Amino acid sequence: MEGLISMKRRIAPISRRSALRLAGVLVALTMVAAACGSDDGDDTEVDGDEPAATTEAAAPVTEVELVQAEGDLLDAIIDRGELKCGVSGSAVAFSETQPDGSQTGFDADYCRAVAAAIFGDADAVEFVPLTAAERFTAVQTGAVDVLMRNTTWTQGRDTEVGMDFGPTTYYDGQQLMARASDGFSGSSQVADIAGAVVCTNAGTTTEQNIADAAAAAGIEMRLDTFEDFDIVTTNFIQGACDVITTDGSALVGRKANQQPDGEEWVIFPPTPISKEPLGPTYGQNQSRFADVVNWTVYATIIADEKGIDSGNIDARLGDGSLDAEAIRMLGGEGELQTAMGLSSDAFYNVIAQVGNYDEIYSRHLNPVGLSREGSANAGWLDGGLIYAPPAR
Amino acid sequence: MDDAPGTRGAASAGPAGPVDPAVTDVAAAAAARARPPEETYRSAGEWIRKNLFSSRFNSLLTIAFGLLILFAARGLLNFVFSEERGWDAVRTNLRLIFTHAYPEEQYVRIWVCVGTLVVLTGLSLGLFARRGEGVQLKKISTVMAGVGAAIALGVILREPSVLTGADGAVVRENDDVVRQSFFEAMADRWVWWLAAAVLIVAGVVLRRAVASSKVSISSVPAVEFAVALLAVPVLSAWIYPWGHFAFVDGTFIAEPGRTVAMSTKVPWTVMWLLVVAAMALGRLMRRGFDEQQQQRMRIPLNLLWLGSPFALYWVILRDPHLEWDRVVSVDIPMGVLFGVIGAGVLWMLTRPGIGELGRIIAIVLLGVAAFNWVAAFFGWYSMLQKARLSFLLLALVALAAHNFAGEIVKRRRLVMAWLVLMAIVHYFATLMNAPSTVETPTEALIGGFAVTVIVAVFTIMLSFPLGVLLALARTSRLPIFRVMATSYIEVIRGVPLITILIFFAIILNLFLPVGMEISLIASATLGYTLFSAAYLAENVRGGLQSVRRGQFEASDAVGLSTTQRTVFVVLPQALRVSIPPLVGQMIATFKETSLLAIIGVFDVLRMANSVIPAQTQFLGIKREGLLFVSLVYWVFAYTLSKQSQRLERRLGVGER
Repeated sequence: MEGLISMKRRIAPISRRSALRLAGVLVALTMVAAACGSDDGDDTEVDGDEPAATTEAAAPVTEVELVQAEGDLLDAIIDRGELKCGVSGSAVAFSETQPDGSQTGFDADYCRAVAAAIFGDADAVEFVPLTAAERFTAVQTGAVDVLMRNTTWTQGRDTEVGMDFGPTTYYDGQQLMARASDGFSGSSQVADIAGAVVCTNAGTTTEQNIADAAAAAGIEMRLDTFEDFDIVTTNFIQGACDVITTDGSALVGRKANQQPDGEEWVIFPPTPISKEPLGPTYGQNQSRFADVVNWTVYATIIADEKGIDSGNIDARLGDGSLDAEAIRMLGGEGELQTAMGLSSDAFYNVIAQVGNYDEIYSRHLNPVGLSREGSANAGWLDGGLIYAPPAR
Repeated sequence: MDDAPGTRGAASAGPAGPVDPAVTDVAAAAAARARPPEETYRSAGEWIRKNLFSSRFNSLLTIAFGLLILFAARGLLNFVFSEERGWDAVRTNLRLIFTHAYPEEQYVRIWVCVGTLVVLTGLSLGLFARRGEGVQLKKISTVMAGVGAAIALGVILREPSVLTGADGAVVRENDDVVRQSFFEAMADRWVWWLAAAVLIVAGVVLRRAVASSKVSISSVPAVEFAVALLAVPVLSAWIYPWGHFAFVDGTFIAEPGRTVAMSTKVPWTVMWLLVVAAMALGRLMRRGFDEQQQQRMRIPLNLLWLGSPFALYWVILRDPHLEWDRVVSVDIPMGVLFGVIGAGVLWMLTRPGIGELGRIIAIVLLGVAAFNWVAAFFGWYSMLQKARLSFLLLALVALAAHNFAGEIVKRRRLVMAWLVLMAIVHYFATLMNAPSTVETPTEALIGGFAVTVIVAVFTIMLSFPLGVLLALARTSRLPIFRVMATSYIEVIRGVPLITILIFFAIILNLFLPVGMEISLIASATLGYTLFSAAYLAENVRGGLQSVRRGQFEASDAVGLSTTQRTVFVVLPQALRVSIPPLVGQMIATFKETSLLAIIGVFDVLRMANSVIPAQTQFLGIKREGLLFVSLVYWVFAYTLSKQSQRLERRLGVGER
């Protein structure tokens, strides 16, 4: 109250002229500022990384940017000059972050392959490491163009979540791992784990799958779940778990790296208890970009079928030992590629810079003990599921 | 001991022969005042008897807890030094842990940042560290002997090493590893025995020398001593084979017998030399300046401290790429426009006769500024965020303008301050919006421990003023402020931090105006700031309440305005009292940044917890990384806490 009274006492006669002048200045300032704002409609440069964008993140632009909703994603990517590829950043052999911060792995190489197809430069990739929880949101908001983040193709994700899936690059499936000294072998079945302590990581579909499989086999077991698979493995090594279960690819990696001397771990059953087809994932209704991703994958598979790899591609092109399909695909009569919006030698770049399917597979997955032979990931000619439609 | 403090001083002061007892007493009292009561020399045995085994019950407690400590220490030692440990995973991944994917060829930028902070620290210490702050030689001797004893104990506690065969594989018998015999192990560790012996002997000798007054000084300057101690690890990098671990062009390099890489030891040596040079410079400046000039030096130095995080992050680390066409055609004109017109408005608002009209205009301005933001949400008209922000700032400054009304000097000062503010704001806004030229393979510019530090520093810097404002608002006499501040504080304090973080990380972007994006780290910083400010506000409020009523009355009596009373009388006293809880809150904020890992930021914890264990080379090696990360956190939190204790001592908190 005191303050109010003293304020009143200080009121001076209002000078109408000065007030008007002030108002005029303010209006002018607003208009100039607004004008400045409106003439930079194309300036949407926001570096996504610093606590900065808060203060000035470009003018509000109504039309551009929400790439996902309207506009063509492929054109937007070409304009940007870089492919934003969502990876895990911490998935053994699929996308590992190396000590210098670079990304390596099966998934990371497929990111590079798509970049090679679009830009002719396998390094034109910006990797966006994502957690499992945020991956689909990242696609929906346009934070990434494509997910190469060991994502299982399911009906729900394809329809409800609004994703589209490319050709499966890796056929995975949930398996179990136990000690040979406990009487397990590679041909054991789920029924054999009756009474065992089975461990897996919490909150994933693996938990559901093993429970379902056990119920189907009519056995009782104890299911212990842990926060992540490192802890599960530690418990297995220390003997707190008899059996651990997750995707076969992960189990093989664990066995190759963490099996103690003098112990033998076995992976079973031979037929996985779940189907986990992993492949590129992108947002719905981006047909042109989807074609590019899909045909990049197919090109690596076709090259593998024909025995073309990064080492011999130039020699094979020179000595005329390639059939018409391969020549077409690698740029000879590249109308098919140019019709997609790519350069005619797009897939030549993919093979030359990244390699064919077998090269990518063996480079990253063989070291952790995963082999194509006899698995679903063998080529269709060898009885596997890796198959590509013809390039014509 | 029996002899009273100061007796020895008196004895040495008094001449031989009969003395007037009164004179002795005065001398003794003076000596006692001159230095803190000094404990006389006691042998280690006596100390142990007196402090650890003074009664039967205490002896029992000592033994019980001593055993407990030994047991824990043994577990830790055997864990850390076990042959099974994959410390290579940590050593090879140090770059990942500290900076994630920041490119190696740009690393000089990181060293410039560290160097700037090191120089500022050195200057501050050189200029302002009190002469009186010293480390007692006695304490040094005790610590030396203690460390020596601990090493000896550790050597005994650590279990014998496993035997390895000629091929380097561990020798096993019936699945169990074969270990050395105890005596073999002890003999193998002769280097450690030697180190322990040297330290113990040195400690005892120093102690005796101090006790027998052979050494003329009783303490060494604390700061110089700490800096000299730092030379030990720096020097050891050149001499001791810590091992050379690297990842170059896709291959892992592990050479345990070598000293660390050049790219590690050269920068650290430079950093050490920089801190020494900066301290020496600070000392020189202090010698050259009188008391008043020294006080004046504080202002630019503190401004450098406050400005350096912004400059280092946006200018050095990000190295923004400015489009000069745009800068010249849009950014500079806009900054000048706001500067000049804003200055004009403020000049008018501070005219002597303007009175209440000034406030009305300021409130109208605030309305316009607020309307600009509302319009942004609905996309009614477009405007650069920079302009919106400038409007808001102008409105806020205009609200405070009446304090500067009247004298021409005051008015000029306000206008100058406004121009400087606009220059800074527009400069940084332009930098922030320019893309970085530092190319990283991943989306984020920097990660690991660097992002922890960046988020913590910005959170602390932003939440402090916000917290003080909230505290003032909560103790305000205006109900609207009080209710708003109280409800804000109570709502934030009632919600878990992780909830706020997830809200800001996921939902915030949906609420923003069209076209405005906030990065994950920015929104997380915002969340941390709002959370931390609520707690800071409560701490400051505690301090505000401790200011006596008489202080308010006295300020009113001498005719201070409310603002002057708050800024010059109340806040200095309140903040001084709240230092311990404020620093506690800062340390908590620093540690809470580990929650970044949960919302998907690649911070230091995420590196240790999920990234390194997923490398084929180091699959599943997680505990080593986590232990190392805990150590890093501890070192920083402990340093902060030590510094706050120094600050408390210096400001005499708890004494007055």
